[in-house]
Amino acid sequence: MSQTRSLIDKQGKRTDGRTVEQLREVKMAVGVVKNADGSVFIEFGKNKIIVAVYGPREVHPKHMAQSDRCVLRCRYHMSPFSTDTRKNPAPSRREVEISKVMREALEPALMLEDYPRAAIDVYVEVLQADGGSRCAGISAASVALADAGINMRDLVAACAAGKVDDKIVLDINDTEDKEGGADMPVAYMPHLDEVTLLQLDGILTRDQFNQCFDTAVEGCKMVYEIQKQALMQKYFGNETEVKEEVQ
Amino acid sequence: MQELKRKYVIPGDKIVDGNFRPLMNVIRIGDSIISTRIGIAEAGRDGIKVIPLSGVYIPRINDIVIGKIVDRSSLSWDVDINSCFSAHLPAQDVFGRDFSPARDDMNREMATGDLITARIIAFDRTRDPMLTVQDRDLGKIPRGESLKISATRVPRLIGKRGSMIQTIEQATQTRVIIGQNGVVVVTGRSQGGIELAVKAIKMVEEEAHTSNLTQRIKVLLNVPDTTPAQPQLSQSTSSSVPAAMSATSKDISEVSPTKSELQSAPNDIQQPLRKEQQSQDKEEQEQQPSSRHHLGQEKASVSSSDGSPSSSSPTSADAISLPSSHSKSRSQDERGRKSDDQRSVAGVTGGDTRKAKTYVKGVHEGLQEHDKKEANS
Repeated sequence: MSQTRSLIDKQGKRTDGRTVEQLREVKMAVGVVKNADGSVFIEFGKNKIIVAVYGPREVHPKHMAQSDRCVLRCRYHMSPFSTDTRKNPAPSRREVEISKVMREALEPALMLEDYPRAAIDVYVEVLQADGGSRCAGISAASVALADAGINMRDLVAACAAGKVDDKIVLDINDTEDKEGGADMPVAYMPHLDEVTLLQLDGILTRDQFNQCFDTAVEGCKMVYEIQKQALMQKYFGNETEVKEEVQ
Repeated sequence: MQELKRKYVIPGDKIVDGNFRPLMNVIRIGDSIISTRIGIAEAGRDGIKVIPLSGVYIPRINDIVIGKIVDRSSLSWDVDINSCFSAHLPAQDVFGRDFSPARDDMNREMATGDLITARIIAFDRTRDPMLTVQDRDLGKIPRGESLKISATRVPRLIGKRGSMIQTIEQATQTRVIIGQNGVVVVTGRSQGGIELAVKAIKMVEEEAHTSNLTQRIKVLLNVPDTTPAQPQLSQSTSSSVPAAMSATSKDISEVSPTKSELQSAPNDIQQPLRKEQQSQDKEEQEQQPSSRHHLGQEKASVSSSDGSPSSSSPTSADAISLPSSHSKSRSQDERGRKSDDQRSVAGVTGGDTRKAKTYVKGVHEGLQEHDKKEANS
């Protein structure tokens, strides 16, 4: 990860015009796949991802079933047309790894023990990739799981932070990921205040690590607000305000 | 102590702090009650619960479900009940205890692809649901068009005191059997009527949480705002229908869909809403000790009122309906049955099951009568 050019200009603007603490524009649409039990289409900057959740449903093959809990299966896949050069549609090492970390990031939020001998399948299909697709995928998958009506302790919001030009920046994009100094994806459950995913690619000092982590968590909180808004919009329409009557 | 009335929640939302009892779709974390589903949080005397707005069907004991026979072994049928668990119907349940795989032909009773109405008699974390068709009104559904809706939409499809399903049935001259697992079977003589009913049911499913749904359904079905069948209904079945059943369509439409969905929701989840409606439904509430009973009563009410309006309507000859004389005697039967049911509700869960069966029976009777008519002609 060697830097070849300056990624932050003198005005403090990044390659895409954002400030160091600015998130890319995030849009979420819930319930876009009719055949799925829960689904979300997310645009996270230039990332475009569809997530579909099926289940709880019967486990096939049967031997994979767990007698005391539900099996969560995640499949992260990049479409051949999602990158500038054709991506081989066969599962790559990277996709297998991301599928695993996504599953592990979502599992703590799910109450899998409520559905013994069943399976929940999460399909994450990246239509267009621009860095941070695993975070976008986790955020969308969490909303899709809630849309599917699966019992959850909390939503999982994910966002990356990183080091660019020796500065800690929020939500790094593809260019910053490739040419920057470090990339730290974090998945976080806002209400429970627990981290479910923490990866780091690059080198950070202890202070930089702490700063980067705090920045990523702040980003997760911003993503959470968008997740919440998307779910409220789908189920309660314009009545997004909580109607609470206290006597 | 503060009392929470209603609140829209998503998973992870804190509903309330304090020493409340977590009931349904909520968990306690520390001192807080946290929602685990998207839905509407409510607090009552019993505790805190969330009425979910999405999710697949998870079986519960005593649920009346509509299932499809998908396979059979030598001793039982495998039934798809629209859930992640495949249900079993033991052959002994149909043939009796002296069932012999060598002597009795299981295909004669039920073949692959048949639809059945059944009750779940056993289900837990370790075993698949077991069904029975032995009770009254359960068994094979002879014909009809089946469709699946989300199980969370079933209470909305039934409507407040059966208002929605009754509107659909009357306007389309069809009979609709609803399983608690979200499987719906529509029967009727005219294909056009069935198609219209299916369209209306799908509309209810898609727009369940929107306002003025009953009005839009009436527009779709070309039903005038003041339902013409309503006065007939109150005349012919006044003795067997609760006082609330004779509410005007205006009364029904004025209730917001979310609210009415809640009111008709099963699983004793409507207690707080009841409180809001006490002024309207005092008499009815006295008759309805629990909301599970309420769901059952809805179904019973529908069945008791189904035959009468269609029999007195000019097009009754074309519809699968009961003759007026039959209707009358059925209404009397219904009264007797109802009192039986009310006694059974004093038990634990028998009430809603039997009432749901009553509804199914109404359909079966209608179909049998229709078959006889056709045979005679």
